[in-house]
Amino acid sequence: MIRESAIRIPFRYAAGGAGSRFLAALRDERRILGARCDGCRRVFAPLRSFCSSCGASPLEEIALGPGGRVEAWTARADGTVFALVRLDGADTALLHRLVGLPGEPRRGMRVRARFAAERRASILDIAGFEPEEGASA
Amino acid sequence: MNPVAIVGTGQTRHARARDDASQAELVREAAARALEDAAIEPRDIDAVVIANMELFEGRAWPELWVGEAAFAAGKPCVKVATGGTSGTSGCIAGIHQVASGLFDIVLVVGFEKHSEGHTQTGMTLTDPYWDRAVASGAVGNFALSVSQYMAERGTTERQAAQVAVKARRNAARNPYAHLQMPALTVEEVLASKPLAHPLRMLDMCPQSDGACAIVVASGTRARKLNPRPAWVRAAATRHEQPFIGDIERRLATMRTLREAAREAYAGAGIGNPLKELDVAEIYEPVSYAELAWYEALGFCEEGQAGRLIEEGVTEMGGELPVNPSGGVLSTNPVGASGVIRVAEAALQIHGRGGERQVDGVRTALATGYGVYAWADAIVLADRP
Amino acid sequence: MSAPVHVALEMDQSWRYAAPAAMARFCAGLKERRIEALRCGGCGRRYLPPRPVCGNCHLPLADWVPVADEGRLEAWTVVHVPILDPRTGRMREAPYGMGLVRLDGADTTLNHFLAQSDPARLAIGQRVRAVWREQLAGAIDDIRHFEVLA
Ligand SMILES: [Zn+2]
Ligand SMILES: [Zn+2]
Repeated sequence: MIRESAIRIPFRYAAGGAGSRFLAALRDERRILGARCDGCRRVFAPLRSFCSSCGASPLEEIALGPGGRVEAWTARADGTVFALVRLDGADTALLHRLVGLPGEPRRGMRVRARFAAERRASILDIAGFEPEEGASA
Repeated sequence: MNPVAIVGTGQTRHARARDDASQAELVREAAARALEDAAIEPRDIDAVVIANMELFEGRAWPELWVGEAAFAAGKPCVKVATGGTSGTSGCIAGIHQVASGLFDIVLVVGFEKHSEGHTQTGMTLTDPYWDRAVASGAVGNFALSVSQYMAERGTTERQAAQVAVKARRNAARNPYAHLQMPALTVEEVLASKPLAHPLRMLDMCPQSDGACAIVVASGTRARKLNPRPAWVRAAATRHEQPFIGDIERRLATMRTLREAAREAYAGAGIGNPLKELDVAEIYEPVSYAELAWYEALGFCEEGQAGRLIEEGVTEMGGELPVNPSGGVLSTNPVGASGVIRVAEAALQIHGRGGERQVDGVRTALATGYGVYAWADAIVLADRP
Repeated sequence: MSAPVHVALEMDQSWRYAAPAAMARFCAGLKERRIEALRCGGCGRRYLPPRPVCGNCHLPLADWVPVADEGRLEAWTVVHVPILDPRTGRMREAPYGMGLVRLDGADTTLNHFLAQSDPARLAIGQRVRAVWREQLAGAIDDIRHFEVLA
């Protein structure tokens, strides 16, 4: 005997101090912000309020990329390609999607953020990362 | 069991919606204050316990998203979720980890951001074959039990309203509390919006965003870190059968809380709690529950709880002040609420209670209450 | 400081629950307006809902006993707050009466709706009787609600 049911529940998540600043910078300045820790010298992407490694807070805000390298990637059955992109200047990678690929991506390839025309303070204000000029896929 | 003490506490400002902070930032706010209070560094923490009801925020693995905010990256970290008792259960888990000799310092952090999800819907996700069709959240199932309790004990709506007034008046002396209503009257409680007969809006706890943390330390570390450590004299917990209909006259009997308290009092050598406790921070999600807990916790005989509130025995200046913090009725971020009870009880022993400090506290009780299915009781004292 | 940013989204939740054997038998009975409980051989408690083991004695339960569709109102309330019904996904209309009913022949109580939603007409100890739906689906809401007997 099986019983099935379905409901729809609304949620509303606060991006918080660092998250709001990061998303507003994508929307208003087309900049990708990260955070540098003075304690352990690591640079995190995206911007955050405290250091994941040593716990220090607050951290210094810095702009990253917009170029970077693909560290890992995978393709979904529908063709969407997801990648971990290490932005220039960052020690950690950002999860996003790759767009405008001429063929299969490869690890280490250079990519650059393409910003969406309409931006609304969302991670999708970056439409995706596309191969950099001259980068071979 | 090795000696264990609470040496530091920290909590956030609690509010209806903490839009300024993400879940992780809220946790960091409480955790950083607890470390500062205990005068320790992140590297001093051996392990971390997180308390949260993730169902309410609809976010999987909260311990993953907020763990690093609680200085847990690279350390042992687990989450505890037992409804309203999540926080006290988390504290008991941390206490056990230190008492066993496994760790010297454990940070326990509880948090909830009710503003981000749908708590009452989460509460209705009970047994799909039995009572989900009728489940009516915390308000509905408390109201049922209150009807039995009132009929058996002759408790009046005015007596319950006095509890609601005491809580919000006490909260006005607590800078972190959510509902601070120094001038609230019994008449205003009785005139507030009906939720489920006989419960009204001001009989119920609010839904709050907030976090709270405690630093649990082994005996040798505790003596170095705090001039007046809050020693854990006893910690007990009880579970129940699964369905509300399994429990015989729930508020009137409260076998979970009665049994947990009996074990905790025995462990702490307490014979007459009203005389021997100096302060209590109890988990009262509803005004009527506080009255029922007075009896279950042995503060008075059955049927005498109304007299206790009427005679001011549990007011700030009374024989046994109950919830100087304003309690759950004033502040309820569920995963944090149990940690707040323990932190506030510890604070009273540390002598760091500010305007809500009760004079000369040597022994304090903290309790947790999770739906009808769990109850926790923890006795803290100024001596091991 | 940037103005706070929120991410608002709606999540669809769907479930598919398998009934334990005792519950499946109980639900099959409902389809014929039959209510059965399981009695513990240790403590004698007659359990609704029926379940595999007595939580107090830890003994397996196998002794089915008949239960009436009438009983005593043990607790009641009238709910005024709107609740999202997790069975239907729709908001439940308020106010509505709700109670704990001890059916004759059972020792635990059943949480169900009451036909009456006037607090002045509800009292612990009242006799109540199940009002069944015309179409029976083998679920606890085959009982629409309980009505108070005069
Ligand atoms: Zn660092
Ligand atoms: Zn039994």
